[in-house]
Amino acid sequence: MPPILSLDRVSKNFAGLTALREVSFELQQGSIYGLIGPNGAGKTTLLSIIAGSIQPTSGAVIFQGRNLIGAKSFAVVRAGVVRTHQVPKPFRSLSVLENVEVGIRFGRSQWSAGDPQNAAQILEWVGIAHLARASTATLSVGDQKRLELARALAARPTLLLCDEVCSGLTESETACILKLLRKIEQSGTTILYVEHNLRAIMSVSHHVIVMNYGQKLAEGSPEAVQNDAAVIEAYIGRTANTDVREPRPRSATSGS
Amino acid sequence: MRPAGKSGVSGFALAAAPYLLLAVLVVLPLFGLGPNAVRLLFVTFVWVTVSIAWNILGGFGGQVSFGFAVFYGLGAYAAALAVNSGLPTVLALLLAAGVAVLASLAIGFPTFRLRGPYFAIATIGVSEAVRVVMTNVSMTGGASGYRILETRPFHQLDHFYISLALAVLAVVASMQIRRSSFGLALIAIREDEDAASDLGVNPFRAKLLAHALAAALTGAAGGVYAQYAAYIHPQGVFAFSIGVAILLMPIIGGVGTIWGPVIGGVVYGLIQDELVASFPQLHLLIYGSLLILIVLFEPAGLFGLLDRWFRVLTGPRRIRAANP
Repeated sequence: MPPILSLDRVSKNFAGLTALREVSFELQQGSIYGLIGPNGAGKTTLLSIIAGSIQPTSGAVIFQGRNLIGAKSFAVVRAGVVRTHQVPKPFRSLSVLENVEVGIRFGRSQWSAGDPQNAAQILEWVGIAHLARASTATLSVGDQKRLELARALAARPTLLLCDEVCSGLTESETACILKLLRKIEQSGTTILYVEHNLRAIMSVSHHVIVMNYGQKLAEGSPEAVQNDAAVIEAYIGRTANTDVREPRPRSATSGS
Repeated sequence: MRPAGKSGVSGFALAAAPYLLLAVLVVLPLFGLGPNAVRLLFVTFVWVTVSIAWNILGGFGGQVSFGFAVFYGLGAYAAALAVNSGLPTVLALLLAAGVAVLASLAIGFPTFRLRGPYFAIATIGVSEAVRVVMTNVSMTGGASGYRILETRPFHQLDHFYISLALAVLAVVASMQIRRSSFGLALIAIREDEDAASDLGVNPFRAKLLAHALAAALTGAAGGVYAQYAAYIHPQGVFAFSIGVAILLMPIIGGVGTIWGPVIGGVVYGLIQDELVASFPQLHLLIYGSLLILIVLFEPAGLFGLLDRWFRVLTGPRRIRAANP
């Protein structure tokens, strides 16, 4: 089966700073992909490029056989790729329901049979139906994240880009969101999920892509990635048993 | 959106009020209203129309333009030229609206690539440039202005009803836009343009369309005014102070609402004359002070203030009804 999304040597420079260097990977339909990496690894930049919010310096983003380079974000949405934001961006003067309505009316127009049919059903699906008439100003962080997801789902994505939907949430809120992501995946939507919370992302992803300093460091199953020496080094630095340079630990012991 | 709670007698009264007001305005001149009062109402309807027009782009869409005098002036000149070449009133007004729409597209294409204050500053530049150009166009008399040749007898009430019809059209258009998907897109753009685009809204197209609709109403209003005044000149209809006044009205009345711009237009239309007559040097200072007070203490404008009073007045009754 051809991949639903493939990135071919995508690079991005911001005035001399290289944010991404020749990143390539492929996503197959109907799975949850985790995208991890330390701060500044280029995860959100990559997500923004796929979503059409920013344009790459070079490379190609092929979604369902169509090159998305040059397409504005609203055109990318209508092609079927929808993103959420790390910091929720609700439309403040609109109610929760009206926020979702924006996605319904301007997102992709094709419907699949199993999709929720209207804004109220989507809110129910995401678990904030009781807040439909509420003002977005009164929402907790967890509910704002859910609204962010609800709004994105309302645009009926085939590929959903989630940017840290669990950051700042409590354990139980995180568990709820992860359950929701599995539900979205089961309805046939592919998910590319950027997250800082390693435990969360490892538990929900089928496949994990690791970035560091703007490059792809590794990819594979969560177990394989967790045991990858380069990944461990990028995340927690050199540890005693992987460190081949002897002098430092020895001087540390002699110093104590 | 108003909460559904305003039901019962007060809700009915609120829904019926605009129709009642319209009926009163329609029959009012028949009860011997003096020409000066008719003129004052005529001017007020023109201001209400442009106030609503500005609110479509600035209130719903959040794009602050200082350049609406361009549409007002071009509409005025287009209508004047059309009337002088023998076109009937309605066609002249359609032409005025059409010319303003073309201008709005020409201005919008480059300037809507700018955001926030940069857009606002660009509209000041465009407005001044158009005024200077019109001052030097010899076909329309340049700085000395342009006169409509009076080939038909003057009926003040005709002008009154035309301006009233245009104001009603503006209110209806504003209501329809607020209810439509287009209105939802405009509000989303006002709140967060990037987030709107990330949900499939094309901000550039929505802004261009809002600009064009606003220009059409403003141009027609300029045309209505020109036919009444029969004499227009660039320092009048293209004046920067006109552009500022058009923006002040909806802000004073309540930006982003349906009735706020109407209230703003009425306040401006009715008070302006008196103020200009009594304080020729100070009337702009008075508006400026009013604007500062409103922005500081009542950002929702006079409509927000009235809405709050209304809630206070009807609130206790509702509580009593709930707990008998």
